[in-house]
Amino acid sequence: MTTGSVDLFVVDDGGALRGYDCRDVVRVEEVAGEPGGYLVRLGRLGSPREVACREVHGSVALSAGEIRPVPEALRERITGEKPWAVGLAGRELYLLY
Amino acid sequence: MESRGGISPLDEARGELLREASIEAEAAGREKAQEESGPARSLLVFFLGAEGFAVDLAHVRKVLRPDRIARVSGAAPEVLGIMNCQGEVLCVLDLRRILSSGKEAAPPAATEGKFIVVLRHGGKEAGFLVDTVRDVAELPASSVHPVLDSIEPSRARLFEGTVACGGQFVGLLSPSACLNP
Repeated sequence: MTTGSVDLFVVDDGGALRGYDCRDVVRVEEVAGEPGGYLVRLGRLGSPREVACREVHGSVALSAGEIRPVPEALRERITGEKPWAVGLAGRELYLLY
Repeated sequence: MESRGGISPLDEARGELLREASIEAEAAGREKAQEESGPARSLLVFFLGAEGFAVDLAHVRKVLRPDRIARVSGAAPEVLGIMNCQGEVLCVLDLRRILSSGKEAAPPAATEGKFIVVLRHGGKEAGFLVDTVRDVAELPASSVHPVLDSIEPSRARLFEGTVACGGQFVGLLSPSACLNP
């Protein structure tokens, strides 16, 4: 039985749903002149970084049982920032960064 | 000179010859299988358009209908996305794009009415989108012929060989080569 869980801040980057640890979110800014564009500033838990996204979906709680490793076949085909896990909640899949 | 449909008589004749050759090779394979007591290979035969392919059944985990596939930003063009496969995350790859060695800048393949063949090899697993799945063929191991010379080297690395199956030659895919970028 697992008891761990994580609260995700979920955004749509235009291709996929990305989830970030809510505790890491510093600020969310609407990008001026770009309807639907947001900039998420992260770094409360680690080094500062920014993520541009199209939509903010809000927060989702995932239990440890809903978290899966990233398939190796996918991991080695991603350039740039790689997700650390994939969240499965109902019909939705979240890439966790 | 071109016949209807843009296929030249020479292409037609070549196609006919290949069909005949594959039927003969298949019949020879069957005879050989009856004579031999060596190990047989079970191959899953599937198609991308009119082109047939086979893969050793030992590496096939399952065949699925595509469900909702979530795209992945920043992934290679052959990655169609990820799918929830009975509670596990499956990476779905576009086999057509893998076989084109990245030369085609085609849009991502539509998944409706197609199949996903899930392969596993060396601890790695992925689903490959194919158009149709035909059947399982039992062939003697010795009936696998070398990869045709006409296949360009970048594509040839994806094949273990060629087998005659159902009246045509089909490429026997190497699961290891297909799974590794």
